[in-house]
Amino acid sequence: MKNWLAVKAVAGRELSKVFRQRGRLISSMVRPLIWLLVIGSGVGSMLQGSQQEGYLGFLVPGIVAMTLLFAALLSALTLVYDKEFGVMRMMMIAPIEHYWIVIAKLIAATITAMVQALMLLVILVLIGLIDWDIALLLLIPSFATAICCAAIGGLIAAWSRTLDNFAVIMNFFIFPLFFLSGALYPVSQLPELLKYVVLINPFSYGVDLMKHAVPAAESDFSVLTDISVLAVFSVLAIVIACWRFSRESVHEPLFHRATGKKS
Amino acid sequence: MAHKFAIRANGLTKRYGQAVAVNNLDLNIQSGQFYGLLGPNGAGKSTTIHMLTTMTSPTSGEAFIAEKSVLKEPVAIRASVGLVFQDSALDRMMTVDENLQFAAALYNLKPAQANDRIEELLAIFGLQKKRHMKLAALSGGQRRAVDIARGVLHKPKVLFLDEPTIGLDLPNRRAIWRFVEQLRKEEGMTVFLTTHYLEEAVACDRVDFIQNGKLQYGGAPNALIRDLAVYILEIDCADTEAVNRALSPQFGQPIWEDEHLSYRVKDKNVDFSQLQQSLGEAVISLQWRKPNLNDVYLWTVCPPETGVVT
Repeated sequence: MKNWLAVKAVAGRELSKVFRQRGRLISSMVRPLIWLLVIGSGVGSMLQGSQQEGYLGFLVPGIVAMTLLFAALLSALTLVYDKEFGVMRMMMIAPIEHYWIVIAKLIAATITAMVQALMLLVILVLIGLIDWDIALLLLIPSFATAICCAAIGGLIAAWSRTLDNFAVIMNFFIFPLFFLSGALYPVSQLPELLKYVVLINPFSYGVDLMKHAVPAAESDFSVLTDISVLAVFSVLAIVIACWRFSRESVHEPLFHRATGKKS
Repeated sequence: MAHKFAIRANGLTKRYGQAVAVNNLDLNIQSGQFYGLLGPNGAGKSTTIHMLTTMTSPTSGEAFIAEKSVLKEPVAIRASVGLVFQDSALDRMMTVDENLQFAAALYNLKPAQANDRIEELLAIFGLQKKRHMKLAALSGGQRRAVDIARGVLHKPKVLFLDEPTIGLDLPNRRAIWRFVEQLRKEEGMTVFLTTHYLEEAVACDRVDFIQNGKLQYGGAPNALIRDLAVYILEIDCADTEAVNRALSPQFGQPIWEDEHLSYRVKDKNVDFSQLQQSLGEAVISLQWRKPNLNDVYLWTVCPPETGVVT
């Protein structure tokens, strides 16, 4: 593949940045553990007896999925970050079709998310919340979820012009995707309206696929449904993000800043 | 195969809504030429470059780089051009080497190939010792040099330099021109330059002036300067009306800026000391000098009656 070196370079640059910032990598472990501790113990205390212990186990797929969601989305958003700091032009002038830039970034986002999930799974095993075999089993649904989250990130990035939208992205994408996914509670117990929201949230199927790997967590859909939805959504989202990113009007602010013209 | 024309454009036009950024541009730039597109900010210089390098597509018209269509073969065009943007496209948090290795990989250069090329270019720019420093630690001039090195890593047929010396001090500007000259000499590439520091374009084989998106006037810089005048006569005086009445029959209409008059002197035998004596007390200062490209621009592109630079 003649674009392999370019794709590797774009993805490699991203990954080397992630691994250079060890502090960020370590702090990315703090968020899920706090959730596990606070929500797990807090909400768990409202439950009774055996349910209480079970809730921590139930949360495992949810917090692994949360780690994947944050890592992949933030990594995919470097598409916007690079635009903001001008580095994107270095990629735009390269002799590759522009959609390869998106693909390379999403590969990096998937790998970043998987590395963080792997670190979290090791921690979860070490604190005795899950066994090694469950941790290993969780890797496969994690991978499918990571791709799905990267694809969501690609979609958002293709429509964002500046990082000013970052707070909007957090409030309107990351949190709703997470809260309305069945990561914190079984979908079957949600009110009717919210249930529909969960059903149209692709991230829910990633969480659900992971629940299949954890005995303490009861899943809501079949494995086949989960995989089908994740696959169809991911492919579609990546294609749309690539298409959108290849449209030059999306990049006009990048080239017409000096003249102050808006597309 | 070398093509006669490195760049051709027919009726190249770019509109943004009602505004016309570039208007019906025709270009025929020969291979190996050093070409300058000159004009004020917002004249359409950068938009022209962006159309020629596939960064933005024309609203109408067509353009060819080495006979390849900008519209039909954008990837091939990007492989054969280098573009140094007006402001840096490099990652300030990465080292010089990391930036250039990254750019080289984008051009499909294998690491060993890239290494040799980076070494070669950094030697030209005298930056070998900075190779493993973060870009943020370099001076503005050094960063611009790295930007140019990035633009020529893949030995492009045509190098586009969009205001390469903007924001740099004089020594750095001169250094950048020395590098560009050396690159042209060693690699024989066609160079397409835009600048509004007109005096810097005197080394070009050909320059064109552009204003409001339209080509105005062009030619070889020395011929343009020669055709303009032998001398430019500049006079500061209180009573400009009276001085002009005395001089305009001989020198034509001046460029008139407050108490400052500039005349084109086409007769090389004019006796300036006699002129000074005849004007006597009326003038505060009087000087004559050789014309340059700034004068060509002011006299040909701006209307002489007003001398207003847009």
